[in-house]
Amino acid sequence: MRELLAALFNLLIFPGLGFLFVCAMAFEWGDRRLIARFQGRVGPPWYQPFADLIKLLAKEDILPNDAEETTAAVLPMLSLAAVLTAALYVPVAGYAPLSFEGDLIVVLFLLSLPTLAHFLAGWVTVGVYSILGGNRSLLQFFSYEVPFLMALSTPAIFNGSWTIAEITARQTVWNIFILPLAFLVALVGLIGKLKRDPLDIPKAKSEMVAGPLTEFSGRKLALWRLSMDMQTVVGVFLLVNLFSGGASMLAPLAFVFKALAILALLSTASVLYARLRIDQLAHLGWRVLAPLALLQLLVTVWMGG
Amino acid sequence: MDFEPVIAALQAAFPDVDLAPRAAPLDDTFVTIPAEGLRRAVTLLLEDWQLRHLSTITGLDTGEYVELLYHFWHTHGLTLRVTLPYAALRIASITDLIPGAAFYEREIVEMFAVTVDGLPDPRPFLLPDDWDGGAPLRKGV
Amino acid sequence: MTKVTIPIGPQHPLLKEPLSFLLTVEGEQVLESTLRLGYVHRGIERLCQERTYVQAVHLIERVCGICSHIHTTTYCQGVEALSGLQVPPRGLYLRTFLCELERIHSHLLWLGVLAKNMGFDTVFMYAWRDREIVLDVMEELSGGRISHAVNVIGGVRIDLDAAHTRSIQQRFDELERQVEKALALINNEPSLKARTQGVGLLSAEQVARYCVVGPVARASGVDVDLRRDFPRPPYDQLKFNVITHPAGDVWARTLVRVQEIRESLSLCRQILAQLPDGPTSVAMKRRVPPGEVVSRSEAPRGEVIYYIRSDGSDKPARLKIRTPTLTALITLADQLRGVNVADVPVVLSGVDLCIACADR
Repeated sequence: MRELLAALFNLLIFPGLGFLFVCAMAFEWGDRRLIARFQGRVGPPWYQPFADLIKLLAKEDILPNDAEETTAAVLPMLSLAAVLTAALYVPVAGYAPLSFEGDLIVVLFLLSLPTLAHFLAGWVTVGVYSILGGNRSLLQFFSYEVPFLMALSTPAIFNGSWTIAEITARQTVWNIFILPLAFLVALVGLIGKLKRDPLDIPKAKSEMVAGPLTEFSGRKLALWRLSMDMQTVVGVFLLVNLFSGGASMLAPLAFVFKALAILALLSTASVLYARLRIDQLAHLGWRVLAPLALLQLLVTVWMGG
Repeated sequence: MDFEPVIAALQAAFPDVDLAPRAAPLDDTFVTIPAEGLRRAVTLLLEDWQLRHLSTITGLDTGEYVELLYHFWHTHGLTLRVTLPYAALRIASITDLIPGAAFYEREIVEMFAVTVDGLPDPRPFLLPDDWDGGAPLRKGV
Repeated sequence: MTKVTIPIGPQHPLLKEPLSFLLTVEGEQVLESTLRLGYVHRGIERLCQERTYVQAVHLIERVCGICSHIHTTTYCQGVEALSGLQVPPRGLYLRTFLCELERIHSHLLWLGVLAKNMGFDTVFMYAWRDREIVLDVMEELSGGRISHAVNVIGGVRIDLDAAHTRSIQQRFDELERQVEKALALINNEPSLKARTQGVGLLSAEQVARYCVVGPVARASGVDVDLRRDFPRPPYDQLKFNVITHPAGDVWARTLVRVQEIRESLSLCRQILAQLPDGPTSVAMKRRVPPGEVVSRSEAPRGEVIYYIRSDGSDKPARLKIRTPTLTALITLADQLRGVNVADVPVVLSGVDLCIACADR
């Protein structure tokens, strides 16, 4: 009975749904506020992401006649479910109740599902911008995913475990100092995965209107946005654990600071550059990121082996 | 470039017609040429004098006939005036000589109901596709 | 691969005004494009024929929002020439001051729009923040940020005093600093250069054949500027450079426009320093003597030309307007052939579309 309650607590409150929801709102607010300050603006108040979500939930939910309704309804839920499940295995300040052997691989797999759902969303809601945006989503996936996976595998190889909680615990010096290239590639890969500026190519407002999600509205769009916000949280937490782990007395506070620092890096990257073209991204992914990740991987194998 | 030699050359190209060059304020000269001679005049301006910049083509309905004005510019303005009687609202296109004239000629077609021979794209330009109110800049429309 | 038709417009996040493009796309490459104008055609030329010359000023102000002052300037210049009116020097200087301010505000607006369409929101925010400086000055002068209603036939209806001039000069110092930063950005920022260099190429030959004007022509190396080639007072007493660039792509157009902001700032300072005393306008007679005039001036986008014919009454017999955006629109078919879909916003923004101007 105790175990059931504990499991429910983990799933629904911490580090599950409730905690993630609060973090997702907080991260979106922090991101928008920081970007606004960089751009000489004030930025939204703290409750804005929450208000946006409520507003979307109340809006009309319509789809084009040709769209496949059931699939279109299931896809955002699938995306959200994948992200939530992945979040369960990412330690928060060292607390990882559901961690198991090899969970890094499961998490990486689960985190690629939202991208596929995003692409499919474009296909089922038939529309010029949706389909083209979906194509770009897939193209982008092929450009950053391989370097991203290589970069995130490097800490696993270096620290000798495929369990995230173990990788975190075994770091005496933060991995970011020993594996800097991997961190860099992982950061850029995360920007691509989250489809943030300057890699928001699939949903480039000036070209694709809103990309694969153009025809979504109301509750479905709210779920999409929530799943993207939560993906940000999970991605940041993952990077914190893999690259700046280690036990410490001030674990919760340190965790918060590290997460905010990585979020600040993501926001800064949003502000500094113009959007890349898809061919420029492919060039970046395969000619720059992949070789760097590979180099880091080889150095790590040579060091550790 | 002073325009006197240009006007003299134009007059030489149309020996039977009095071009009646008139100076207008703000450094422009108006010259009247016959409608059939438009392409010859424009070719002369392009090839012999490198007067390539066509600012625009104005159409106007005086109540007795339609006038077309081709405004050229190169340090001074030169305008070719062509008069078209209501019964014969046709003029040759100069788009093959000056591709930039395409939009201006399309506007003449739809605003004045003038037929421009050889215009590559005679679709409506500014008016809606289902416009049936006649040529808006003609008198009495 | 199958061909897809992408509609850009009439409503699209990319366009500020309604315009319809149909792009035929294969994969990520544009094969052909068709253009349809006329969504904001208000028939201003016809309307002006049914109004007096004075009433027409207000109508012409509304041909365009961004370059409203240059339209009325060109129109008033033409009517004044027909009527034989001599605008007093102070009036001409003030009129030109606002023309140059408008050029600055238009180019800053354009920079922001180009950046936004490239996904570079930061530059958009910065450019429009700096534009506020110019808009504030224009509002203090005329009462309106965008629609100034400053021109009257015979001069202007505003005036400046010494204290106001000093305050404006101080704000120009601030603006100058920001413009220098913008120039440094355009010259050095790699992602901006990657998106704009080699995109939207127009050769000098194409510019001549299509009779293109303005910064688009100057960015292809064609040295035309009506302020220097047809120097109406006070331009004959002011010093400025005509900026050209040989590259002919969107990056060159960006450089030309931002450097023109610098030149316009210098012109504004010279105007304030040399402002002559005297009245700002002369009275106009209600009826304009019969005649015709072709009035030209250099708008932010290039040569704007007005043809006015008067028949001796108090209403114009014919008013013809040709705005510079039309000359750029005709090149878009060439510019868009063979480009990447991702380059379409950059190409469209590069020519500085002002559809209200083009449609009238």
